[in-house]
Amino acid sequence: MSETPVEDHEVRFDEASPVTGASRIEAAYTAEDHGQASVAKSGSTGQVFTQTYLPWTGTLNPRWARNWAVYRHHMLGLVRSGHRPWPILIRVYLVLVLIGSVGDIFPVLLGSLFGEGLGQVFMVSRDSLYAHVLGFFPRNVLYYPVVTALIVGTMISEDRLNGTSALYFSRPITRFDYVAMKYLAAASILFILCVFTLLVYYTVEVLAMGRGWSWIVDTFPLLLGAVAAGMLLVVTYTSLGLAMSSVSTNGFFPAIGLLALILGSKSVAFLVALIFEQDALYLLSPYDALANVGQALVGTESNYELPWTWSLVSVVVMNVLSLYLLANRVASMEVTRE
Amino acid sequence: MVEARAPIVHTKALTKAYGEHTALDALDLRIEAGATGLLGANGAGKSTLLKTLLGLIQVTSGEGSVLGHDIRTEGPSIRQRIGYMPEYEALDPRMDGIHQVRYAGELLGMNPVIAMQRAHQCLEYVGLGEQRYRQINGYSTGMRQATKLACAIVHDPEMIIADEPSNGLDAAARDFMLQTLDTTVRNGQRSVLMASHLMDDVEQVCERIVLLHKGRLVAEGRIEDLKAIDREYEVHVWGAAEAMERGLLDRGLRVRRQGRVMRVADDRDDLPREVLEVAAATGAQVRRLHTYEASLEDLFIAIMERLGHDVKSSEDLLAGGAPR
Repeated sequence: MSETPVEDHEVRFDEASPVTGASRIEAAYTAEDHGQASVAKSGSTGQVFTQTYLPWTGTLNPRWARNWAVYRHHMLGLVRSGHRPWPILIRVYLVLVLIGSVGDIFPVLLGSLFGEGLGQVFMVSRDSLYAHVLGFFPRNVLYYPVVTALIVGTMISEDRLNGTSALYFSRPITRFDYVAMKYLAAASILFILCVFTLLVYYTVEVLAMGRGWSWIVDTFPLLLGAVAAGMLLVVTYTSLGLAMSSVSTNGFFPAIGLLALILGSKSVAFLVALIFEQDALYLLSPYDALANVGQALVGTESNYELPWTWSLVSVVVMNVLSLYLLANRVASMEVTRE
Repeated sequence: MVEARAPIVHTKALTKAYGEHTALDALDLRIEAGATGLLGANGAGKSTLLKTLLGLIQVTSGEGSVLGHDIRTEGPSIRQRIGYMPEYEALDPRMDGIHQVRYAGELLGMNPVIAMQRAHQCLEYVGLGEQRYRQINGYSTGMRQATKLACAIVHDPEMIIADEPSNGLDAAARDFMLQTLDTTVRNGQRSVLMASHLMDDVEQVCERIVLLHKGRLVAEGRIEDLKAIDREYEVHVWGAAEAMERGLLDRGLRVRRQGRVMRVADDRDDLPREVLEVAAATGAQVRRLHTYEASLEDLFIAIMERLGHDVKSSEDLLAGGAPR
C-alpha cells in the first residue's frame, strides 16, 4: 500500500454550508492546529504489535510494604474493585450486620431527643455493653459467627484452590507474614463490626446525652471490660475460622464447619446442661467459654456455674490449637504444586 | 546469543533428602546468564531444585547461590530478584488481568501506582494489552500463561524461572510464548531457566541445558557442544540395506537403521570412506550420504541410552516418569 499522505485540503464553512454529519466531522478536524486543515492520512500497513522488553529501574520497598499490600488487598476489596473480589452477597451481608451492630445507637439518640426514659434499656450499662458484644441473639447467632464464616471461609482455602499460594510464596513473603496479614484482615473486619461499633455506641451516648466526667469515670472500666471481651471474641472466632479455612480447598466446608462448631457446640452444651444438669460441656463451646469470661470482665451476673477462669483456659486452648493447625497447614502449602 | 558471564546459579554438592529418598544427590551445577533449559523426568528432582533455588526449602547438605545470594540463608533476597512463573494455575480467576499483575508487583514491594504502570507495560509485552481489563476467568490457557509471565516479570527480575511455560498451549500461543521468552533473553538481556518436557521448546529458546535424572546431574552445557556426543552420518541406501547394516556392525561401527535409512555414529576419522567400502562390498546402492544434525531429542535419547535406559522418545521418559 502506498504510504504517500493524502493531499491536505482547506475546508471552508459559511452560512450556506449544509449541516450534515460529514460537515460536522470536517469542522471537528479543522478546529485544531490554528485553523490549519488537518485531514486523515493513509497509514502504513505492517506489524501493529511490536514486542519490546522495557526494563524497570525502581526500588522495591521492604517487608512492611509487602505485608501492607496483602492486608490492603483484602480490606480494600470490600469497597473497591481491583482488589480481592469479595462476592456481592458477602458485602451486602456485611452492610446489614453493620447496620444491625449499631442498632443500639438509635434508641440512645431517641432518648436524647425525647427523654431518657424512652431508651433507658438501651443506655450504656453493664448489661447493654455485654449484650453489644456477646449477646446471643441476634449478635452471636446471626452476626458475628456468620460474618466470620463468610469472610474467613475462603481466605486461605481459595489460595489452595486457585494455586495463588504460589503467587505469595514465590515472592519474598514469608508464611508467617502471609498468614498474619490474612488473620489481621479478617480480624479487622470483625473488629469493626463488633468492637468499633461498641466504641461508637459509647461515644454517641456521651455526646448525645451530654454525659459528664463522673459518668465516664464510672462507666469506662465497664467499656474496657467489654472491649477486652470483644477482642477475645474477634481473636477466637478468627483463629477458629482460619484454621478451618486452611484445611480445605473450598469455602463451604470452613464456613459450615465454623458455624457448626460455634452454634452446634452451644446447642449440645445447652441440652446436656438442661437434661443432665452437667455444665462441663460449656467449656467446649467457644461461644459459652467467651460469654463466661465476658460476663466476668464486664461484671454482669453470670449465667454459668463454671468458674470463668476455666473458660478462659478453654478459650486460650482453643486459640492455641487453632493457630497450631493453621501454622502447620500453611507450612505445607506448596509453590510448585498444590 | 548472550555472551557467557559469571554464573547466576551455582551449587556445590547440593543434596536434599526427604527421609530415605534423595531428591537431589550431590548436585554440582553452574548455570550462566542467558537461557537454560531444565530437563528431567517426573521425580528427577526438578521441582525440588526449583524450590531450593527459590530458597524455600532447607538443603540437607552442600551449598549454593543464586545471583550471589546464599540459597540457605537469603531466600527472600533471591525471590525479590527472581521472577517465578509456576506451572500450575496461580491466578485468581475472579480478578482482571491488570489488577492481578499489579498485585503481583505489590507483593514484591512495589508502590501500588508504579506497580499499576508496570502491569500495563508487562501485559502489553506479553500480548494482552487489549485483554487486560477482562476477568481471568474468561481467559484462554494461553492468556493465563501470558498473565503468569507478566506477573513474573513485573519487577524486571534478572532471572526468570519458567516452569513448563508452554504447557497446554496451542501452536500459535506456544510460539508466541517461546518468542516472548526469547525476546526477554535477547532484547531484555535477562536470564531464563526454563523447565520443560518439550525438547523442541527448550531448543527454540535455550542455548544451554541441565539434565537431571534421579536427582543427579547427567548433562550440562551448551546444546551445540552436547550434540557433539551424538554426531552421526545419515545414509540412504537402495537394496541390501540389511546386509550393509551387518557389514557396518562387523566393522565395529554403531548403527541405527530404519528401513533404507541408517545413521552411523561419527566416531572414526574417515567414516564416509568406510561406509562406501561396506556398501560396495554388500552391493548396496548409496543414494545419499550426509552428516546428520542431531536435535535435542536425539541428544536426550543418546544420553539416556548411555545411562542404560531404552527409550524411544523423550515422551517416554519426561511425560511418563522415571525409568527404573
